[in-house]
Amino acid sequence: MIDQDVLVIGAGLAGMRAALAAAENGASVAVVTKVYPVRSHSNAAQGGINAALTDRGDKWEDHAYDTVKGSDYLGDQDAIEVMCREAGQEVITMEHMGTIFSRDDAGKLGVRAFGGQRQARTFFVADFTGQALLHVLHEQVLKHKVKVYEEWFVLSLLVEDGECCGAVVMDIRTGAIHVFRAKAVILASGGLGRVFEPSTNALICTGDGMAQAYRVGAPLMDMEMVQYHPTTLKSNGALMSEAARGEGAYLVNALGERFMKKYAPNMMELASRDVVSRSEQTEINEGRGINGCVLLDCRHLGEKKINERLLTIREVAKDFAGVDMVQEPVPIRPGMHYQMGGILTDVDGQTAVPGLYAAGETACVSVHGGNRLGANSLLDTLVFGRRSGVHASDRAKYTKHKNLTDASADNDRQHIRALLDRNGPGEMFGKVRLEMGQTMNQHLAVFRNQQGMETALAKVRELKQRYEKVIVHDKGKTFNTNLIFTLELGFMLDCAEAIVLGALERRESRGAHTRTDMPKRDDENWLKHILIAKTPEEPKVSYKPVVITQWKPQARTY
Amino acid sequence: MEVTLNVRRYDPDSAKPAPYYQEYDLEIDETHTVLDGLIKVREEVDGTLALRCSCRSAVCGSCAMRVNGHAVLACKTKVRDLLHRGSTKLTVEPAGNMPIIKDLVVEFNVFWDKIRAVEPWLQPQGVPPQQEYIAPNEDMLHLAGVMACIMCGACVSDCTVLEVDKHFLGPAALAKAYRFVADPRDDAEKSRLGKLVQYGGVWDCTRCMQCVQVCPKGVDPMGRIMALRDRAIENGYHNSNGARHAETFARSIKHSGTLDELRLPIGTFGIWNVKEMLKLIPLGLKAQMRGKRPPIFHKAIPGAENVRRIFEKVESKR
Amino acid sequence: MTGSVKYAFYPGCVSRGACPELYSATIEVCARLGIELETKGMQSASCTGAGVLQEKNRRLGDTLNARNFALAERTGLPLMTICSTCQGVMAQANDRLTKDPDYLKSINADLAPEGLEYKGTANPKHLLWILLEEVGLNRVRARVTRPLKGLKIAPFYGCYIVRPSSVLGYQEHPERSDALEQVIQVVGAEVADFPGKTACCGFPILTINEKASMKMVSNHTLSAKDAGATAMVTPCPLCHLNLDGYQPTAAAQARKPIDLSILHLPQLIGLAMGIDAKALGLNKHIMSTQKLVSQVAVAQ
Repeated sequence: MIDQDVLVIGAGLAGMRAALAAAENGASVAVVTKVYPVRSHSNAAQGGINAALTDRGDKWEDHAYDTVKGSDYLGDQDAIEVMCREAGQEVITMEHMGTIFSRDDAGKLGVRAFGGQRQARTFFVADFTGQALLHVLHEQVLKHKVKVYEEWFVLSLLVEDGECCGAVVMDIRTGAIHVFRAKAVILASGGLGRVFEPSTNALICTGDGMAQAYRVGAPLMDMEMVQYHPTTLKSNGALMSEAARGEGAYLVNALGERFMKKYAPNMMELASRDVVSRSEQTEINEGRGINGCVLLDCRHLGEKKINERLLTIREVAKDFAGVDMVQEPVPIRPGMHYQMGGILTDVDGQTAVPGLYAAGETACVSVHGGNRLGANSLLDTLVFGRRSGVHASDRAKYTKHKNLTDASADNDRQHIRALLDRNGPGEMFGKVRLEMGQTMNQHLAVFRNQQGMETALAKVRELKQRYEKVIVHDKGKTFNTNLIFTLELGFMLDCAEAIVLGALERRESRGAHTRTDMPKRDDENWLKHILIAKTPEEPKVSYKPVVITQWKPQARTY
Repeated sequence: MEVTLNVRRYDPDSAKPAPYYQEYDLEIDETHTVLDGLIKVREEVDGTLALRCSCRSAVCGSCAMRVNGHAVLACKTKVRDLLHRGSTKLTVEPAGNMPIIKDLVVEFNVFWDKIRAVEPWLQPQGVPPQQEYIAPNEDMLHLAGVMACIMCGACVSDCTVLEVDKHFLGPAALAKAYRFVADPRDDAEKSRLGKLVQYGGVWDCTRCMQCVQVCPKGVDPMGRIMALRDRAIENGYHNSNGARHAETFARSIKHSGTLDELRLPIGTFGIWNVKEMLKLIPLGLKAQMRGKRPPIFHKAIPGAENVRRIFEKVESKR
Repeated sequence: MTGSVKYAFYPGCVSRGACPELYSATIEVCARLGIELETKGMQSASCTGAGVLQEKNRRLGDTLNARNFALAERTGLPLMTICSTCQGVMAQANDRLTKDPDYLKSINADLAPEGLEYKGTANPKHLLWILLEEVGLNRVRARVTRPLKGLKIAPFYGCYIVRPSSVLGYQEHPERSDALEQVIQVVGAEVADFPGKTACCGFPILTINEKASMKMVSNHTLSAKDAGATAMVTPCPLCHLNLDGYQPTAAAQARKPIDLSILHLPQLIGLAMGIDAKALGLNKHIMSTQKLVSQVAVAQ
């Protein structure tokens, strides 16, 4: 058994920021992560991080309003205020730690424009901001000698007397299963992109944390709010950063029109992501696309600017679409990118289960509501990662370890033994995952309807049955990735079901949840969050009012 | 198209663990990468194949491995591009210079240990400012070229020095060190360089350019190592064989236009380094007998003064 | 091609210093292949910097190379090298000089006092590539009078003629990737393929980390021998210095006998053309080539 005050699960931005904050607050901290920290999916955030820096005339209230409007008024305004108020300090802290933010001519931090915001307030490092932040936080974790269990996989959370007090973790290298005991546990295990196929998300984004929290009674919220990013490559779903449009790129249809003028005459390509994705999909559906895509045209930006600010995506487009964006427009289409929903938390990361915290994409505070603004996700991870770390380490000061023993892992050991002992001609995880992903991408994408979502629910439930019979081919102990993927699939299926249930429940169109059969937003009945909680029987649906502080819902135009 | 992946496998849990090669025949798309092929294998054909991979778009650094003998990111490498002259087979092996755990998975701790060894965090002095540090954008752009490193280990895999001397810090760690030495906010340049000129540091690089060739992110690790050497000399670290070699070399060209090979070892070791000088004698004698030794009186090229003038002009520009 | 071709000859420092046998072998072989060499106009060419100068001051290296290129331009002839290192350093410099007109202009300003200007037309080529692409291997084959039957030769490229491939024309000339193997076969020998053929010989760290340098020598020579090599051929005189000159030291460190003859590229070709071993400078090596030479003679 391995004891620490605070156990952080996940070593992306949220996890490492939480771990640093908890360590600075005097707690003993361990981080458990299924991949090396710098492999985390925070890497993939390209464009930047939003903050209203007051010394250059921006106001956090303006940032908050843009975020509220972007969320289609589903974001909780108290939480959004916290995030936007603390954004500036968080960016400065990251700069002090060593982030090589782009500068203006005076050597101060420079900004670029980003979607859904009336002011340029996105701080950035070329087009690999997430990677640059992630590596700097990793540097700090090394500096502070925070204990990181690299390539260890969490199997389940441990709850005693209604409080979360640890986790059961497998060392991927040896296959050994250990009990980690903690006075507080912070889930920072990222999103669930792989529930969809294709997705911009890394293969590790399998919703582990959401499912683990859900299984110990923490409800999931806003799960129906799945962001489709407007610019992804058709071939493999790879992301072309919003930074391209932030720097001035056009979206063009088969007729050569900048079609966004029809949908968002003021903000054009820089409208909110849900708006742009719907517009693209409409163009494609109405026959003005090219092989299921529209075009992202960067040519007028010039090679110099592209190389300085968009080099990564230039490479990505070359590698995966065979197109050099200096010379040609890049075919792109909306692709699954981000889960606005997640484990319900308060502004300190506390979930409904005492002792269990969540931060980052795995959590739902909710600051993103129905649609996240570009460059607010990095901010979310840092602000709420830090706040969770502080609160969890405070909790550790007055909390005693629960009475766990090594036997607390026996359930998981038996489960894995049974899984490995299962033999026969049955199917592997791969086929089940692919069918799940394709189903979700078909029926829970940019446009949804009752019939499609019901089909998806039936399919997900069928796949859950089939999952119970999946065969793990690799029977070994060392680095058994076959076993890991199979366990991840179990987590993903729970997430998929929660997404479909939430989507079926919301009988309106709001943010990323657009129903062709119910195309209007309905504030009277649906200005509220949908929660999905696990019960021994069917998952239970409940509601939570949206917190409104100073911005009353209005019609949303860009 | 049809392709055969010839994969080097190793299962430490088998009764008698030993590496072997296994061939997988696949039908794949023209646009598919090596990683697409390997994922197809593990999802549809053989679930026991172990490899690391995650982002599929060359940012996470998980899938460095050797394909046809050279380190690549499997997710960035198109199968089609590696099939030469009608061949339909690719050989896929784990990254080099790191112990193998299983199949294509290697022990990365040896990699992280070297990263840790260069104290990879910003070391500013004094109280930080209220707002951000003021720094020139061109410095940040320059550093972005180094921070583009995703720690995939491709350079370490194919580093020719690490192959013969595990003590070498290696291209990734040295590039990381450069990221701090060249950061205007970092105040530890001198002490960092003091450590980097020791055995295993910047002077042990052979400049073979393997790292430059295989780096999937254009980080140019060797170029960073060369820049560290230059900064080390600028910071007064002349007292190493490497520094003396570089300085003697430059001096020889400056004065004669060509390299004085006889003076080079003397300049490198220092004429008073009796041990190394004695070691040179047997070789020198043998070379002398074979008529192989460079002329004792090194002759300058005609017009050497032009070379000298260029030296003075360009050096004064720095 | 028919008739003769002429090049501005850039021999590099080593073939006029520690490896004079490379120089003489080049002259002999080129004469027989109808390759004319202009030496006079290139007499005042300087060292390329060999990558060492570049690590101190890249601009300085580029200026010196621009000067050498300008000298070659003045002869009106294409530029030929016989050293992998020179080839690589020149190609890298030329890449930087020719892709940025402003840079070239500022460099030219420093050449002006000497009355030189680099116009960007030089295309430095190693003898190895000239044989492949301009002289043609058929002509080499036609001049072979003493095919090296029964010999198994290990190719050793040296780093700078291989990397970085992006500036060395491998995209346009994929055949360069096995140029040495092709030459070995044309002269009638067999190729001994071994893993280290494009690795580093260890020369650049000889005086810095001798142990590592020697281990490179022994690794490569021994693995070539494991592949059945009777000799090794290299287009790089610096590799030759280490692989040949330091082979005894490397063998002592490895506690294994090696005894592998290391040939310069033109020596290999010259042997097959029946040129006298002494004229090729084969007696000037540290590792004896006697056995090899007599093997060739016996085979006739």
